[in-house]
Amino acid sequence: MTDYTLPRFDHPPRPMAQRIGAIMWPSFFSAGVATMVFFAFVDPLALRDLTFPELSITRELGYTIGFFMFWLATAGASLFTWILLRPAARFNKPLPPER
Amino acid sequence: MNKKIAIELLDSSGNSLYESERKIYPRDVAGRFQSWRKVAVFVLLGIFYGFPWLRWDGRQAVLFDLPARKFYVFGLSFWPQDFVFLALLLIIAALVLFFFTTIAGRLWCGYACPQTVWTEVFLWMEQWTEGDRNRRMKLDKAPWGVNKLLRKGSKHLLWLVFALWTGFTFVGFFTPITELGARAPWQWSGWESFWVLFYALATWGNAGFLREQVCKYMCPYARFQSAMFDRNTLIIAYDPMRGEPRGPRGRVLGSVLQRARGLLDPGMAYDLVFRAAQHPTAADAAVQARGGTAIADSGIKDVAPLPKFELDQLGDCIDCTICVQVCPTGIDIRNGLQYECIACGACIDACDEVMDKVGYPHGLIRYSTQNAIDGKPTRVLRPRVFVYGLLLLTLCAGWAWGVSHRIPLIAEVLRDRNALYRVVGDGRVENSYTLKIINKDSKPQRYRISLQAPGGIVLAGGERTIEAAAEEVLSLPVSLSAPDSLHGKQTVTFKVETLDGQTRKSVPSSFFGPM
Repeated sequence: MTDYTLPRFDHPPRPMAQRIGAIMWPSFFSAGVATMVFFAFVDPLALRDLTFPELSITRELGYTIGFFMFWLATAGASLFTWILLRPAARFNKPLPPER
Repeated sequence: MNKKIAIELLDSSGNSLYESERKIYPRDVAGRFQSWRKVAVFVLLGIFYGFPWLRWDGRQAVLFDLPARKFYVFGLSFWPQDFVFLALLLIIAALVLFFFTTIAGRLWCGYACPQTVWTEVFLWMEQWTEGDRNRRMKLDKAPWGVNKLLRKGSKHLLWLVFALWTGFTFVGFFTPITELGARAPWQWSGWESFWVLFYALATWGNAGFLREQVCKYMCPYARFQSAMFDRNTLIIAYDPMRGEPRGPRGRVLGSVLQRARGLLDPGMAYDLVFRAAQHPTAADAAVQARGGTAIADSGIKDVAPLPKFELDQLGDCIDCTICVQVCPTGIDIRNGLQYECIACGACIDACDEVMDKVGYPHGLIRYSTQNAIDGKPTRVLRPRVFVYGLLLLTLCAGWAWGVSHRIPLIAEVLRDRNALYRVVGDGRVENSYTLKIINKDSKPQRYRISLQAPGGIVLAGGERTIEAAAEEVLSLPVSLSAPDSLHGKQTVTFKVETLDGQTRKSVPSSFFGPM
């Protein structure tokens, strides 16, 4: 029978740089790959004509917008994963002292 | 080099670093909160399963017609151009969630979340086929036999039928459901079959197997809901001042509310809870409560075990552990508010039942605020309630105004991008456009198209009147003509209005003459 009276291992919080890095870097990498694959098939100018023909978007601007939109999406996913992987102890904290 | 490497043997049956989730067998309980939850289940699932069958003006009342890119919700119809209302509606929904969380805690989780609602129904089916908590635990431990096969088989049959019906209803929101039913299942298209099966599978998996794990490990709201909480928010709370020290006793002792002992001092009471959590009694350990201790810093080590208490020192908690057994997420609410708690109130109903049996007043576990538990006044009206409330009111009013004041006409002008202008002889130039007119009304309309432009630019062929059927999208080629003495870019405005002048739209565009 497992002894549930022993507290389970609770990893201490990691340094801020590590947390931000673990969210931003994999998402940056994925966004880069996604941008490359996406724009290998889609010309930003063709996309502009389909969506916002009245805006003067150049190819370079199209690539840039595309990359940052991909990065926003992948970073959002990474952030979500980080929140879900935080151990319960981070949430089950005592109430802050009253002001 | 004969140094021994220090090794530690992990308990082979547990305490290993990897541990699979233990199954929770929530014990059935009846009471006030459970009745409300049942009402919520019937109302919400009634809406889900019933709405696709309602009719409105000869069509399905609630239909999200994706192929036609039109959403019908009773008397309202939404077009892709009304996307902003959908976005606004989602923002309103989020604010409603924040507002009610601030005031009354996790009402959403306990009563309204599809995860909770469907899990509840799946649990009923499990109880019908496999019996109560103890029987279910026994059945799972028993070797496979006819009885187990029959019980488990009938459970899964019920689950499967219900899940498939759920999938069918889900697709019925996107394809007219009567027609979908008539074609079932062999004449369904590939996508319809896929979504029926996929949604059925998701229902079956989420409500049948994942259950509380969705709340604990997958739900974002569970992770951030505490940001809306303060000491004046309604929570499911155990009163340690009254309950501690916990312990079994015969029917010899009255409630502390009627005894000389009275309520404990909060510091003392919370210390007792914390020490009890660190050194559980045999009964507490046997129910294997999950979750953490929210009342004290988990960094505190070397907690002294509890002494043996005299009978008259005991609080009102008889340590029957029923509150843990009924918990659908398997936590011990006596350890304080935990993020795993979905505020279903099962422990309240269970504890009230036990209090009745031992002759103590209700409310050892109750729906209350932290301030009230600590014997301080609760403030309902506080800045965050006003901020959420005002934002919510503004957005709702804005949404209602926007939806009711939509113009039932969309007009857009696309310039022909192939040529800037065309010389057509007898000293005139022309520009070509495509005029897009969408009649969003549910009856046909006649529109007058006119032009407002400088420098003698006119509509080739003059003003004209066109007719659009109900909800028709028209694409009209239009040409503007001007004398070739007109140079450069000119701003022109197309005007589209109904013959009675009730609805009108102006669309700016540009005309190019020779440079």
